[in-house]
Amino acid sequence: MAGVSAAPSGRGLEVRDVVVLYRDDDGTTKAAVDGLDLDVAPGEVVALLGPSGSGKSSLLRAVAGLEPVARGTITWDGGDLAGVPVHQRGIGLMFQDGQLFPHRDVAANVAFGLQMQRVPRAERARRVGELLELVGLGGFGDRDVASLSGGERQRVALARSLAPRPRLLLLDEPLSALDRALRERLADDVRAALRATGTTALFVTHDHDEAFAVADRIAVMDAGRLLQVDPPARLWHRPASRRVAAFLGYEAFVRADSPAGRALRGGSGAGRGAGDQGSGRDGQDHDGHDHDSQDHDGPAERLLALGPGSLVLAGEPGGHGATLTGTVLQSGFRRGVVELVVEVPDVGQVTVVEPSAGVQLDAPAPGSTVALRAQPDAIAVVG
Amino acid sequence: MTPTTTTPRPTRPGGVTPRLAYRSGAAGRGVVWALATAVPLLFLAVFFAYPVAAIVGRGFAPDGALDLTAFGEVFGRPRTWRIIGLTVAQATVATAFAVVLGLPGAYLLYRCDFPGRTALRAFVVVPFVLPTVVVGVAFRSVLAPHGPLGFLGWDGTFAAVVAALVFFNYAVVVRTVGGFWASLDPRAEQAARSLGAPPWRAFVSVTLPALTPAIASAAAIVFLFCATAFGVVLVLGGTGYGTVETEIWVQTTQFLDLPAAAVLSVVQLAVVALALVAAGRARDRRERALQLRPAETTTAQRLALRGPGRRNGDVLALAVTAAVGLVLLALPLGTVLVRSFRTRDGWGLGNYVALGTTGGPNALSVTVWEAALTSLRVAVDATLLAVVMGGLVALVVSRRPRSRTGRRAVRTLDAVVMLPLGVSAVTVGFGFLVALQRPFGIDLDLRDSLVLIPVAQAVVAIPLVVRTVLPVLRAVDTRLHEAAAVLGAAPGQVLRLVDWPLAARSLGLAVGLAFAVSLGEFGATAFLARPDQPTLPVVIFRLIGRPGADNLGMALAASVVLALLTATVMLLTERLRAGGRTAATGEF
Repeated sequence: MAGVSAAPSGRGLEVRDVVVLYRDDDGTTKAAVDGLDLDVAPGEVVALLGPSGSGKSSLLRAVAGLEPVARGTITWDGGDLAGVPVHQRGIGLMFQDGQLFPHRDVAANVAFGLQMQRVPRAERARRVGELLELVGLGGFGDRDVASLSGGERQRVALARSLAPRPRLLLLDEPLSALDRALRERLADDVRAALRATGTTALFVTHDHDEAFAVADRIAVMDAGRLLQVDPPARLWHRPASRRVAAFLGYEAFVRADSPAGRALRGGSGAGRGAGDQGSGRDGQDHDGHDHDSQDHDGPAERLLALGPGSLVLAGEPGGHGATLTGTVLQSGFRRGVVELVVEVPDVGQVTVVEPSAGVQLDAPAPGSTVALRAQPDAIAVVG
Repeated sequence: MTPTTTTPRPTRPGGVTPRLAYRSGAAGRGVVWALATAVPLLFLAVFFAYPVAAIVGRGFAPDGALDLTAFGEVFGRPRTWRIIGLTVAQATVATAFAVVLGLPGAYLLYRCDFPGRTALRAFVVVPFVLPTVVVGVAFRSVLAPHGPLGFLGWDGTFAAVVAALVFFNYAVVVRTVGGFWASLDPRAEQAARSLGAPPWRAFVSVTLPALTPAIASAAAIVFLFCATAFGVVLVLGGTGYGTVETEIWVQTTQFLDLPAAAVLSVVQLAVVALALVAAGRARDRRERALQLRPAETTTAQRLALRGPGRRNGDVLALAVTAAVGLVLLALPLGTVLVRSFRTRDGWGLGNYVALGTTGGPNALSVTVWEAALTSLRVAVDATLLAVVMGGLVALVVSRRPRSRTGRRAVRTLDAVVMLPLGVSAVTVGFGFLVALQRPFGIDLDLRDSLVLIPVAQAVVAIPLVVRTVLPVLRAVDTRLHEAAAVLGAAPGQVLRLVDWPLAARSLGLAVGLAFAVSLGEFGATAFLARPDQPTLPVVIFRLIGRPGADNLGMALAASVVLALLTATVMLLTERLRAGGRTAATGEF
């Protein structure tokens, strides 16, 4: 029985041409989700990434059964979920602000779903202890939920969602109410907990770092539609469109066949599909998403996308390896790095990040000219 | 991967079967909600709308055809205009005093922290639930020529009635405004202070405007209560003094002029409708303002009366509240208590011993203890009715249906059940008398049965129950329901495991409130009580209407008993509130 989570059989979640309507205060309806397709394979963690108002939460609530679907179908393992009430779907949902039951202590919160499944008391207690251990709150069982910190509450909410072993867990911006440091730490913990329980999950977020940290695949959503669905590394290095690239934080776009584009690519085939560094770290264990086998050499009309880190300082202008020059517009110090906003002719404004050299910092002043070198692996090819 | 902690998912039914189950489940739920809506509506239709309609019918069409001569006749009397003027003046002045005196109390009891605050908060509420007859007796004994404040010469005057009304409604202002004030973000005022505003300026230009919705809401409710006051006016007002409310009673029971009483009831309905609309507007604004605030942002600050950190506002608030507490609240209650031990032969328990008798010649038909037992029995029935009906209404109104028609229906129901709050108890009692002689043409005179008293009292108490339970149910986040549902809880289980535990305390509070209201109810009961089975307030009223020091002594002793009964009920429920993990924020 144990250890079957790695590749559960079945077809998982299939969302087909789904439309979810949203009613404004003035009575007009708009499509929050507008004819969207999405698959989540069993055991997979998919992040739904998009700006606020892009319809992510509406889609999630429709899958949970909390929002009516105006058109299209949502199926699990081939079975249509339409008409299946929320409490019989076996789909968990973790809220942004936890929504812990204020009248129940930590253990009773986690036990709620098990109670609904009529799990015997002893088994329930064992499982609650196990889950609290898993989220790093061992021994918190009899605490009042009002006494918990924001991070602890979300851990309890996660344990509560996982307890009834949902066939699919939906997470609605579960970390966005937390401060940054906590968010980063907890993102890794959520990932670990989802892995450990082999839970299939759909994770909504507007935070890139969170999506990249947690997901096997990332679906970028905007205005009710999906723009791209790919594993993190591929999404990062091969954004499907300029819009996706801009949303991911790429700042400047250059045609690959322009002089500047050729300079950026150098002789080394820059901006190649860029391998799997990134996905290796969480030991991707299912192989259904091997998009990256063929080599795109970048047809001429393709765009190169530059973001922070695509260009680095190259010593004196005209010095070794320097391919470009630019004018510094702004210069600032952030968490151990110097950040320069540089205007590069024919390219545009690009953020250049350099490790801070020491106390006697001598960052180039605004207005000065700097020599730059391209980092081919950090330049994405759009399309 | 860590396969050790992995466990297989249970297989769940998907596809066809749940869909069928869902269909039948949804239909079943629809029936349940329809019943939960229909039962209280039917109750209010028969026992509230029908009697009120009967009165209006009597006023406009005494003989079946539209006939406004009764209106012309009643409005032609100078007495009518004097009474309407007095009613409005009395309510306006009492409301103004209650607000002005209540604001410092709200600040002190809800924004400041000091030892004994909880006990003081409980003490302040006692007057609100005290039977009107008891309050009338209390103020009379204070203001009577030989009373502690007899030198004022207020006995039987407008001032006496106003003082008693302020006594009653002080708690309404303190609680409504205080509850709002407690959760008001203090940082806005702090920002004003840091921008250079002196304390009074920060209060006037920042805090006071923020409090306005709560103040308006409290004022509208207090005005309503004052305009419909009955027992107090009847006991305290001298001869010739009267309000629309007492006039209805006088016309019915003394002049037997039912058409005039019906016309006056219509007038009263109009006054009440106006005040209710104002109150509803204010309440909407207050509830909106409440939603805009982050929950639980504030903690009460310590009183600063001395030393370098002294706040003059605190000193003022303390002084005003102490004066109100001592003179307006404690003195009347203390006087009743002390006087109840004074008999013709000096101090003693004689008056209490006499409670086992029927009083002097022709005073009463039953002993006071028997009347007390009747009161308790009636109160149990009335409470049961009010809590079941009011609880159902609160439950239905707290739902947020997805469809627009559903939402509109919920809003309508909310407004409809609030009507009895305003429509005076006297109107209800008089309406029963008029309408239930041959209800709906059925040959069945309900007026002789004791059943009508608890029903009338329940009609009066239902709005209070709704107002106590509804805010708590409404405060339950919809997403909490959703969280329970995605964890596998069916709709019934969500109600049982989420709403019920969160609202149970407020329902307990509602039980206490309904019981206290029923124990002291006088307006409707005065019409319906049978001579051989009077309730305690009716007995007290009868005793003070009879001459003789013995009868007055008995009335005082009976008042103490009734006050103790009511206060005990309220203290028990107040404990329930104080011990709650979730604050029951019921307001009137």
